[in-house]
Amino acid sequence: MKHTLQQIFRSPNFVVGFSIFAVIILTVLIYPMLIPDPPLKIIAQGTFFEPGIYVNTYDTFSAPAYTLKLEGADSKRIASKLNDEDRLAMQKWLVGFGIPENEIDIQNTEALLDLWNTNFDPSKRFQGMTNADRNYYIRLNNSVQGLLSTAPAIIAATDETTGGLVETDRVQQSDYINVSQVSNVRILPLGTDNFGRDVLTELVAATRVSLMIGFVAGFVATLIGLVLGLVSGYVGGWVDDGIMFITNIFTVIPSFVLLILISFSIGQDKRGAFTIATVIGFTSWVWTARAVRSQVISLRNRDHVNLSKLSGHSIFYIIVNDILPYIASYVVMAFILQISSGILAEAGLSILGLGPRTTEVPTLGLMMNWAMIYQAHILGKWWAYFPVIITIALIAFSMNLMNTGMDQVFNPALRD
Amino acid sequence: MKKILYVVSLLVIASMILTACGSAATEAPAATEAPAATEAPAATEAPAATEAASSEPADPNSLPRNETLYFNGQQWGSVVGWNPYSTSNNNGMAIAQQDNARVLMFETPYAYNMLDGQVYPLLADGPYTWNDAHTELSFGINPAAHWSDGTPVTADDVAYTWATHVKYNTPTGAANTAYIEDIVASDGTVVIKAKLNDDGTAVNPLVVQAYVSTNYVIQKAWTQTLEERTGGDATALLADTAEDVVFSGPYSKYFADDSKVVLIRDDNYWGQDASMFGKLPIPRYLAHTIFKDNAAGTTALTAGEVDVSQQFNSNVNLLWEQDGLPISTYLPDAPYQIGASLPTAFYNLKSPGLDQVAVRKAIAIAVDYPTIIANAMTDQSATFDQAPRSLMNPTAGEQALYDHAAVADLQWAGNDIEGAKKLLDDAGIVDTNGDGWREYNGQDLHYVATCPNGWSDWQAAIEVVAAAGKEIGIDITTNYPEWAVYQTVVTASDQPLPEGYDIFMMWSDGAGPTQPWSRVRHLISSEYVGMAGNWNGNWGQYSNADADALIAAIPGMTDEAEIKSAYTDLVKMYLTDVPSFTLMYRPQSFHTVNESVWTNFPYDGDGTNPPVPPMDLMDGWGVAGLYNLELVNP
Repeated sequence: MKHTLQQIFRSPNFVVGFSIFAVIILTVLIYPMLIPDPPLKIIAQGTFFEPGIYVNTYDTFSAPAYTLKLEGADSKRIASKLNDEDRLAMQKWLVGFGIPENEIDIQNTEALLDLWNTNFDPSKRFQGMTNADRNYYIRLNNSVQGLLSTAPAIIAATDETTGGLVETDRVQQSDYINVSQVSNVRILPLGTDNFGRDVLTELVAATRVSLMIGFVAGFVATLIGLVLGLVSGYVGGWVDDGIMFITNIFTVIPSFVLLILISFSIGQDKRGAFTIATVIGFTSWVWTARAVRSQVISLRNRDHVNLSKLSGHSIFYIIVNDILPYIASYVVMAFILQISSGILAEAGLSILGLGPRTTEVPTLGLMMNWAMIYQAHILGKWWAYFPVIITIALIAFSMNLMNTGMDQVFNPALRD
Repeated sequence: MKKILYVVSLLVIASMILTACGSAATEAPAATEAPAATEAPAATEAPAATEAASSEPADPNSLPRNETLYFNGQQWGSVVGWNPYSTSNNNGMAIAQQDNARVLMFETPYAYNMLDGQVYPLLADGPYTWNDAHTELSFGINPAAHWSDGTPVTADDVAYTWATHVKYNTPTGAANTAYIEDIVASDGTVVIKAKLNDDGTAVNPLVVQAYVSTNYVIQKAWTQTLEERTGGDATALLADTAEDVVFSGPYSKYFADDSKVVLIRDDNYWGQDASMFGKLPIPRYLAHTIFKDNAAGTTALTAGEVDVSQQFNSNVNLLWEQDGLPISTYLPDAPYQIGASLPTAFYNLKSPGLDQVAVRKAIAIAVDYPTIIANAMTDQSATFDQAPRSLMNPTAGEQALYDHAAVADLQWAGNDIEGAKKLLDDAGIVDTNGDGWREYNGQDLHYVATCPNGWSDWQAAIEVVAAAGKEIGIDITTNYPEWAVYQTVVTASDQPLPEGYDIFMMWSDGAGPTQPWSRVRHLISSEYVGMAGNWNGNWGQYSNADADALIAAIPGMTDEAEIKSAYTDLVKMYLTDVPSFTLMYRPQSFHTVNESVWTNFPYDGDGTNPPVPPMDLMDGWGVAGLYNLELVNP
């Protein structure tokens, strides 16, 4: 046993696959200890907040201010509100309004804004200008108001007795705060999803659930396949014919279609994660059964099996003691592949809206499903679905690598 | 040699086009022989059309972009028929008899404008008048109005349409016979006689008034042909696909299969008369590609392949703010659309605990509405700060119909966890066994909140409702059955709602000529308690005799102060008893336009008078927008 393990861990494929898988498992186990938030908690009011560091604006007012005199701060501020495209659009409007093009210097912000502020009229429309353009110019006009001002921003509070505003603080343009001194900062490395949930926290929880689904599905599938394959291969005769008849029927029906039909008929209210896992298991045992059967057939006439038969051992004893150990390596490998295909099957089902019920637990497939429903792919909100795809790919990749690595060790034909 | 090749290839192309068109004509599920006959010549002429005069209709598969206005979100699946008597045509472009009737192919006497609540004459000549007793409504028919076959539209057609609705008990007939005694034509004038109460007053003048902007006028001569064809059998009459139908509107059927529907302008449309629009609508073709789902429709909209989108496009503002696309909505800022209906969560008042006002109100005030509006509706709904909770939609007209100050104490903004807890504690509904959930009569409060599967904005809203329950010690889980199951269960008001339907979402009426009265009635009137096949409302089975009395009285009221006081009382009852609660506001139609090809769509403050409502240029007075369109690059 020890020797086998050593051999396996000498296979580079297996080691890489195992490391990736170990990292995923460790993340799934450790992350909830560090960030114990419930994964389905809606924290954002709004959809698809970008990944980043969110600093509480209110708390920044009370954090100590530092003055930093940095080069280019003004031009950065201006560029964020007025980029080159906006300048060109301003020029277009002014030309449409009747100002000669050579009088407009779009690089001179001050002159451009002067010209703009004196001339812009939201009600003006010229040939070829759409309502979308008009809305854009109004937005642009609002965003450049006070752009060149160097006056501090004033923070005021409402006076409870008079109802008027009382100045409490001034924020200079050169004021900075140190983020570590703000009491409320939340890092959202993968932003939020359409429900306003923290994607990373949800992703970790979903990975855990999906792994469990894959594990249960793989276990069920392998168990059924193994039992049927052993019995069919060893007993032979009409039992073999009967089992192979059923197996062949299942082989020709595409298992995913079967999965869809069963999931649909179970109904959404009864589709928990565990149910889905079991259903996946019950539809994906076929190839394991066939492979185990063929291996058993080649084993059952070996000398040690015949010897065992002569010694009067029961069929059960022979299968467990004389046959199973010889195919154990294959079964473990099949199990690993079943886990990975179980996870993929759940993702496939959930994308079709036939996955587990939505609110109880997140799964990788459900996250993709909701990202699609809220059109994250059209709006370019990659963080809502891309990390999920990567996670699924990594799980499947690591398992396949481990499988290949083990194959190299166990399969004599592939041994170096 | 080259010439021969050229001719041969032309022949090949022509034959391919012919076979393609031929097969399309035979494949069309609803096609009788008539359309094949009319389509065939168009198909043979199609190749010539591009070269010859533009008056020849174009090939429906390559419509000239600058003569075609493309839509999405109206038509799902293929068209079944063109029969204006039937409600099962699945014909989203041509037929919708509703509060804001679709008047592209068939026309109503008046067109309703949701922005000002007025109706404007369409087939009718000038405004309608009530007699002094308020029992008879009469109007003339515009003398310029004529059918597509050239014969004039007459008062007789209106009367015969009604007679047919009654004779064959069509859905329109069945819905109105309780309120309309008869519609007759006398001296070229249409007179609608209301059903009368014993005291001689009209049963419901509001419904009578709504008839003129809700229901199409259908040609008498064609109706008689139809009756002859179907031998007087009501089922056959309603099932007829009516490919030969005569219409009065500006557009008619040009092409329909399982991939698209195209309407073509009738250049003899009567509305070009100076008494109506004075010109023809601008686009020659109205086309609707049949998309697989919302995402496909949105993709087409962003690509400029759709001009007018009647779809819920989530985060629609990003299309212009982030992607810089020439896309806009009626309002430039949130809520982007004019809210008209009130998607509502109903309580099953028979569920243990939900018969208690304290529990109902506690859940309702704990719900985080700003999150529903920001996340589920992606800000495409007015907030409850902008339009406080009542029975009214956010339009100015309806908001003015109740006394805001009188009900201010009863309203709630949501997210009031402490208030909800206190309400429950005061009512003695507390957690005595320490399992985290409150009990009522010794039973844990456990509810299932539900809405149809795949209705994404509703599902997201229901998730937020469930989250609120957990905050106040009431266990709410969610469940999403398929629509086919959901609708059967919810509308069977003659049976108790089964387990799993404690809190469930349904819609309410939008904007229309009978609103807000009809919405109020559908939300709280007890006449729907115990009704089989209840598609009207009050699915939670609430009953309140005072509310019923007011609902019955309002249609007959003429004094504005009296009406306002009645509505205020109804809002008070609704907010006190909380039989259901509104989760968000939703527009009558989503109206998002892409100005890549066409411009001058209606927008807030566009200066049109009367204002053109954002009804996708096809419903009610929204159709007037078709006459203002311009090409971006003429």
